[in-house]
Amino acid sequence: MKKTIIATTLALFAAGAAQAATEADVENTFNPYKGGFPKAAGLNAGTVINKGNVDQFKDAVPAGVYKLLKDGLLEIKVGPTTQFELSKAYIEATRKNLGKTKLGAKNGDIEGYVAGRPFPEEPDVKDPRAGEKLAWNYKYGVNWGDNAAIYPFYWKYRNMQTGQVEKTLKLNMHFLNFKHRVKDAPVPEVTPNPSELFRAIYVKVLEPQDLKNTQLLIQRYEDDQKLDDAYLYLGFQRRVRRLATGQTTDAFLGSDLMIEDFEGYNGRISDMKWTYKGTKNVILPMWNHNELKLAGDMPAESDGYKYVNFGGQGGCFHEGTWQLRKVYVLEAAPVNANHPISKRVFYMDAQLGNLNGANEIYDRKGELWKVFMVGKSHPDAHLPLNKGSGIGIDDAFSMVDVQSKHCTTGQFKGQVDGKLNPPSMFQVQYMRGGD
Amino acid sequence: MKNRSSRKTPALSLTALAVAAALPAFAQDNLPDMGSSSEPWQVDTYYENHTAFRGRDDTGKVVGLSKFRNTLQVEADKKLSGGWVFHSVLRGSWDGVYRMNKGQYGEDAGGAIGAQSTLGGNLTDVPWGGTSPAGPLGYTAVAGLGYPGATNNKFMDAYPNNPNDGLRVLGDRWHKVNGGVAFATPVRPCNVDKRGCTDFGGYGDKSTSDLEFPEFNSRLDFLREAYVKNSFDIGGGQALFLKLGKQQVVWGRTDLFRVLDVINPVDYSRNNIYDELQDIRIPMWIAQAEWRMGASETMQDRNLQLIWNFDQFRANNLGQCGTANVALDAGCFFRGMRTLWDYGGTVSNFANVGPDTYLATNFGPGQIGLANVNLPKWSLANTQIGAKFEGVTMGGLNFSLNALHYRSQLPSLHGGKRATNSFTGQYQNAWPYLISFDMEFPRVNLLGGSMDFQSETLGAAFRFEGAMTWGEEFANTNREQLYSKNRVWRSVIGVDRPTFVPWINPHRTTLFSAQLFWQHIFDHERENGGVGERGIPDFKDNVIGTLLMKGFLAGDRISPQLIIARDFRSRTHAIAPALEWSTTDKLKFTFGANFKGGSNGGNSFDDCRSCNPFAPYTAGTYPGDPMVAYSRGLSGMEPLGRFRAGPIGSAIREDEIFLTMRYKF
Repeated sequence: MKKTIIATTLALFAAGAAQAATEADVENTFNPYKGGFPKAAGLNAGTVINKGNVDQFKDAVPAGVYKLLKDGLLEIKVGPTTQFELSKAYIEATRKNLGKTKLGAKNGDIEGYVAGRPFPEEPDVKDPRAGEKLAWNYKYGVNWGDNAAIYPFYWKYRNMQTGQVEKTLKLNMHFLNFKHRVKDAPVPEVTPNPSELFRAIYVKVLEPQDLKNTQLLIQRYEDDQKLDDAYLYLGFQRRVRRLATGQTTDAFLGSDLMIEDFEGYNGRISDMKWTYKGTKNVILPMWNHNELKLAGDMPAESDGYKYVNFGGQGGCFHEGTWQLRKVYVLEAAPVNANHPISKRVFYMDAQLGNLNGANEIYDRKGELWKVFMVGKSHPDAHLPLNKGSGIGIDDAFSMVDVQSKHCTTGQFKGQVDGKLNPPSMFQVQYMRGGD
Repeated sequence: MKNRSSRKTPALSLTALAVAAALPAFAQDNLPDMGSSSEPWQVDTYYENHTAFRGRDDTGKVVGLSKFRNTLQVEADKKLSGGWVFHSVLRGSWDGVYRMNKGQYGEDAGGAIGAQSTLGGNLTDVPWGGTSPAGPLGYTAVAGLGYPGATNNKFMDAYPNNPNDGLRVLGDRWHKVNGGVAFATPVRPCNVDKRGCTDFGGYGDKSTSDLEFPEFNSRLDFLREAYVKNSFDIGGGQALFLKLGKQQVVWGRTDLFRVLDVINPVDYSRNNIYDELQDIRIPMWIAQAEWRMGASETMQDRNLQLIWNFDQFRANNLGQCGTANVALDAGCFFRGMRTLWDYGGTVSNFANVGPDTYLATNFGPGQIGLANVNLPKWSLANTQIGAKFEGVTMGGLNFSLNALHYRSQLPSLHGGKRATNSFTGQYQNAWPYLISFDMEFPRVNLLGGSMDFQSETLGAAFRFEGAMTWGEEFANTNREQLYSKNRVWRSVIGVDRPTFVPWINPHRTTLFSAQLFWQHIFDHERENGGVGERGIPDFKDNVIGTLLMKGFLAGDRISPQLIIARDFRSRTHAIAPALEWSTTDKLKFTFGANFKGGSNGGNSFDDCRSCNPFAPYTAGTYPGDPMVAYSRGLSGMEPLGRFRAGPIGSAIREDEIFLTMRYKF
């Protein structure tokens, strides 16, 4: 009984704490480097971290990435820390709705959220629900903005030991926020939206032959407690098939990614117990795309766009630069005891609010299973149409299975363009209009 | 019979295949501009070899090679001006089985056959096409009966124009005669043997080259798909979508069963029921329009689809007799019946001349059999129309309501037609209960719907589909014309559950997909005729269950699967294991098999031997008024047992292993 009272009191305190967010919090959350960029001894732009010197930088390297470096699987070239300013519309929405958002009584409940970053205040390790608030900051983060497309998106399944590319997928992936839109019309919501959808992802696979014209539509509800709806159009069946979405730990199309891994975490907040573990300065893969040495072995794009190059052991690692960033270390442990992992560790970029820079995924025995690294480009150093979007453009990913020594890599052509993502694309009927 | 060397058509087909083969080289850069723009052609070219072997059929002989099909398929897309997109699929196949296993499927197929009489309950082998004291009965024997006009009988003692060569006993691949009706069916390609060759709806009159090159025909089947599509914004978040051309329109939510998916007919001759429907639907020239209304205040998605199938009618291709895939063995039944009409022939165990005695009988032409095939001609009235409303509710329930006015893609045999009385030579325009048939394709109206939803608790997605039809016709030995129109309800419940099976793959779910199909025939007729049951051979209620288990290994490059199908009323089943292996993104192998089991022992049905159409001569020792024609219900496996055995039971001796190689250029 006493514990219950304490927990309830803490919960109320935590919920109430949101009201304490101030203009200064907004300024701080979107510009954590106002007082200068972080520093680590001996770590400068141009430094190359490898097996030989990684111990020197251990505190500034995420634990999973440290293991990869220690095992000699890759080298990391450090670049300067740079500003990744989020869109003014999102910052303004945060400011305008300051203090309106509260956590509900139980994990996965939220009240009063309108738009922008719901909990801009600095997380507090004493706050038992600080991790949950960071999870909401991610869910309602800018991510891909109101709408964007990865058009196209190449996935390669690789044997890390031999470097053999076992399978290559070419697909288009589209995102649309139905609610809490801040920048692109319609603002704030695509209407009518009777089902209260929050967001949808539409995927169309172009290659290889056995997956050609496969389409996937995932509709996420505003109510976090509600399971996603998902539909699959199989090219060889030519009809839409309803999917059971409960198995989000399924390896997506046989890759090293679970559906739950998408964008860092692609599940319900209520499916995890979130714990904020503290704030650190660590390196994350963030770069200016146009300044990288890009891949020469990828299909040509008509606009001359080139993809991020891969190298390292088995070709599993993107070859962009990493930079020292302020991060919130966040742990997520599955509520379901049968979940195949014991926990995820995220290094959440404090400025962007993204989760996917250098994640660690631990198996049920608590041993490191996979490391997921999504590299981001500054939008102003990417495609011209992305300039000024205020979105950290996902540019390349490496999902490394350290146990089976296998990896899946991704090369993006991210395009923040509303015309590529009309709302009709995110309705079931759109899938039936194909070939 | 035609001379075997009469093969003029291959040249055209070979030329066509050569053109198709040249397409990869011709692609992209050389395709016509079609009024657009900078967008290049998107062209994918595939080659596939499908090789299959069969074990012993019911005669005890090993069939051997049953398919050596080589397919070249080109898929070409181009964006046109004004938002239009053109899509096409060209396919050309050459099946070498007609040359490589000509003893089963080519010019040497079949041979001389025998017939059967039942003498006091004992099955006795007798000659086919001749006469003997144990049968067959012929002209001489009947004339010797001495009834008035007996010398005018039209039975035959021999068949100089219908030699006993290139024949098989109808149904011998899957059952024994066993005292039932049996007659001959020619099995050689129609350029070799023209007997019984008639267009039954896209099959039945094919020469060797037609069979070898099935897409190169007058309906231009090598052009599998060719359509343009576009979406027009009509404001308010709504759009008008148009898709015009040769295409497949797919309705419904179930696998394998075609409850709502009946707009395009299906080519079962390609690989029976085992190919993906997209590869065996017969594309039709169709205009399709969708009013995509999008969301409303009460529904998440709404769409109204109208379709107009303005193509000339096409039936399901059930497979020509003498080829590897003859669904329900129907093509052999039709060819045998047509041969009976044109030439006459010996019918085993027919004449009931005493208790438990049924002598083989030599009918002459124009007495029994299949006379006319009335394929619907093109006319505005014969085009087919349909409408579908598809919606998603606020709670995520997905549903459709469907309506279709179409022609049955399966034939209906109308009996009791014109014929000459075998005993007297008298011709009449109608002989009630006589097995003198015409083939028709009746008009059918369909109303149905479907829905799906998921259950978080069960981790599964559920699918329902159901349809009622009006106008379908069924064989019915209780009726003078041996058929009746009946309303039919068909429905399927399906459940898909991805499940982790650690010993298959601990990180990837294995798909378990189960379906239960139920068919109910309204106003079903079945009654005792005195000797046995008569009426509709199809079961009043039939249930078929399917279970698919599909696993994924090695990054989905290896996929084992097992399909089990059980026809509960026919008491037969099929088990189809397969292993897919994508060695590279371009090359994929599939190795598999299908095995059938169960028993057709309960699938015999009234064969109308006891219908007494030429009363009183055919009254035999059957009960009832010898002057009245109606069925007393004497049964055998032919010809109606096939409707009870179904597609699995009638293929029960077609166990097969196969290897498919598919390469993308």
